[in-house]
Amino acid sequence: MNVAKVLDAKGLACPMPIVKTKKAITDLQSGDVLEIHTTDKGAVKDLAAWADSTGNELLKHEEENGVFKFWMKKA
Amino acid sequence: MEQQAPSLAVILLSEDLEKLHAGALVGSVASMSGMTVNVFVTMNALKSFRKDSFENADFITGTIGKEMLAKKIPLFDSLLQEGKDMGELNIYGCALAMDIMDWQEEDMIDVFDGVIGVTKFLGMTQGATVITM
Repeated sequence: MNVAKVLDAKGLACPMPIVKTKKAITDLQSGDVLEIHTTDKGAVKDLAAWADSTGNELLKHEEENGVFKFWMKKA
Repeated sequence: MEQQAPSLAVILLSEDLEKLHAGALVGSVASMSGMTVNVFVTMNALKSFRKDSFENADFITGTIGKEMLAKKIPLFDSLLQEGKDMGELNIYGCALAMDIMDWQEEDMIDVFDGVIGVTKFLGMTQGATVITM
């Protein structure tokens, strides 16, 4: 996957992963992929819901040693 | 894309830090999700938006509010500012309560878009989902 930018949102609580994601994705071009790292458990459902409501596409997510990783494609 | 109400009205009444934070949290995320958000700050909630109250952390706090202050997490002012910066979120002080207390907009932390009456607010938020805290 061709990642345009990696966002480190580890250690941030709700809703800051969403805030940081919104800020980071604003700077990208349509079709670019943002990789997001967070330790906020709520982000799994929150980022999926945010993608639904904004039209961005959550390509996949996975967990690795307590860090949740997401790949979001900008609409 | 899921169907979503286009507009959200958040009415902040209370000086409880948890209620201020929850209202700001919902409003800011709604704004970042593409909704138009209008926040009406009235009654005792206005006191918490005063510069002197805010600087002295003069809030009513419960268990979670105390921990929020101890951990120095970004408070409702930051959440509302993020909502303004990253979407369409407007914040208005209640003209009646401001008038009763003889408070001016410049007494308030710098997030307000104006001081308006409830009639104006209702006109701006027709058809909106309303959350009251």
